[in-house]
Amino acid sequence: MTDVLFPRLSDQDPDGEGVVATWFVDDGATLTVGQLIAEVAVDKVDAEVFAPADGVLSIFVAEGRAAAQGSVIGTIA
Amino acid sequence: MTATLTSRRLTTAKAIVEAIGDEMAADPNVIVLGEDVGAYGGIFSSTTGLLERFGPTRVLDTPISETAFIGLATGAAVEGLRPIVELMFVDFMGVCLDQIYNHMAKIHFESGGNVTVPVVLTTAVGGGYSDGAQHSQCLWGTFAHLPGLKVVVPSNPYDAKGLMTAAIRDDNPVVYMFHKGVLGLPWMAKNRRSTGEVPTDSYQVEIGKASVARRGTDVTVVTISLSVHHALDVAERLEADGISVEVIDLRSLVPLDRAAIRESVARTGRLVVVDEDYLSYGMSGEVIASVVEHDPRMLTRAPIRVAVPDVPIPYARELEYAVLPTTARIEAAIREVMPQ
Repeated sequence: MTDVLFPRLSDQDPDGEGVVATWFVDDGATLTVGQLIAEVAVDKVDAEVFAPADGVLSIFVAEGRAAAQGSVIGTIA
Repeated sequence: MTATLTSRRLTTAKAIVEAIGDEMAADPNVIVLGEDVGAYGGIFSSTTGLLERFGPTRVLDTPISETAFIGLATGAAVEGLRPIVELMFVDFMGVCLDQIYNHMAKIHFESGGNVTVPVVLTTAVGGGYSDGAQHSQCLWGTFAHLPGLKVVVPSNPYDAKGLMTAAIRDDNPVVYMFHKGVLGLPWMAKNRRSTGEVPTDSYQVEIGKASVARRGTDVTVVTISLSVHHALDVAERLEADGISVEVIDLRSLVPLDRAAIRESVARTGRLVVVDEDYLSYGMSGEVIASVVEHDPRMLTRAPIRVAVPDVPIPYARELEYAVLPTTARIEAAIREVMPQ
C-alpha cells in the first residue's frame, strides 16, 4: 500500500489547506508509476501529482474538496 | 501490472503543451517564444515544462514588445523555422497588428507563393472571470476578417491537441486561440468539459472541419469554443422538454466549414448562432450568410444570434454576465425559434 500525498507547495503557510482541483483518473483505476493522476492548488500555486507506484487507486479526497498539504488524498494497492 | 497507456484524461492546457512538446521533439525547427512562456510556463499554462525539456535556445522568454517578437517569429518562419509565438491576451493585438496582418498574413501572397510562413500565433481569449474590457475579448472575428490567416479555436482537450499538431505542421500562418474557460486551469471556474480523454500518440485534427458535438433534429446551434460547452448544457436540459438540439462546433473560423452548417440546417430548418465575440460584422453574421446565400428556403424560422452586444465587456460580474452568451440567453433563443 502506497499513500498518495498532497504535495507541500507553500513554504510560508505549510499548514494551509489546498484543493484537489482535478482527478485525471477514476477511483479504482489501475495506475502505472509516474502517470499523471491529479492536479492540486494552494492559493494560486498549482502542482501535478504523479502515481508513486503501480497499482489500483483508492481516492480519499474528492475533486474540488480541500485537503492539508502533506495529507493522504488516496492510496495505491 | 503495467500497461502502456493509449489515452488518458488531460486538461485542454496540458493537451496543448503535449502537442507542442511532441512536435518540438520530432522537428528541431519548432521553437516557442513569447512573454512568460519559459520559466513561468505561460500565464495560462500553455507552455508548462517546455523550457526545462528543450532549453532556452528553443523556448525564449521575450521582452514586453509584441511588435518585435511577433516580427521575429515571422522572419524566423520565412527563414525555415516553425515558430509558435504567444500573444499573451488577444486584447493586446493593437500593439502588434501590423506585423500580423500586413506581414505574417501577406508575405506568401506578395512573394507570388514563393515564400511560406509556417508560424503559429497562440493567444488567450474570452471573458467570464471579471478581467475587464481589455482582457476579456474574443476578437476571433477580427482575425478571420483579415485574409491570409487560418483561425482555429478548440473547445476541448482532444481537439486542442490535434489542432495544435495540425497548426504547427501547416505551412500557412495559423492563429490558434484558446479560451481561458476551456483550459481546465485549477484557479478558474470548474468546467467538466475542459478535461477529457486524449490519445498519447500524435494525431491531427483537420483545420477547417467542424464537428457535430451533439446530434439533434429540431434546431441547429452553431458555435465555437466555450460557448460549445454552454450549448451542450442547454441541449441536455431541453431534451427533457422534448426539444432536440444539434450543436455544431466550428473548431475553426478560417477555413469556415460552410458545408457542415448547411448540412445541419437542411435537416433542422432552424438556426441559432452563439458567438462570444461582438455581434456586428462577425462570425454570427457570416454563419447566417452561409445559409441564406445558398438557399434562404432552408430556414423555416428567422435565425437568431446570441453574441456580445456592441459594447465593451464590463468588469462588474453582473454586468459582464449580462453581455456574455450565457446558457439562459442560449435557451431563450432556442425556445424562440421553436414553433410556439
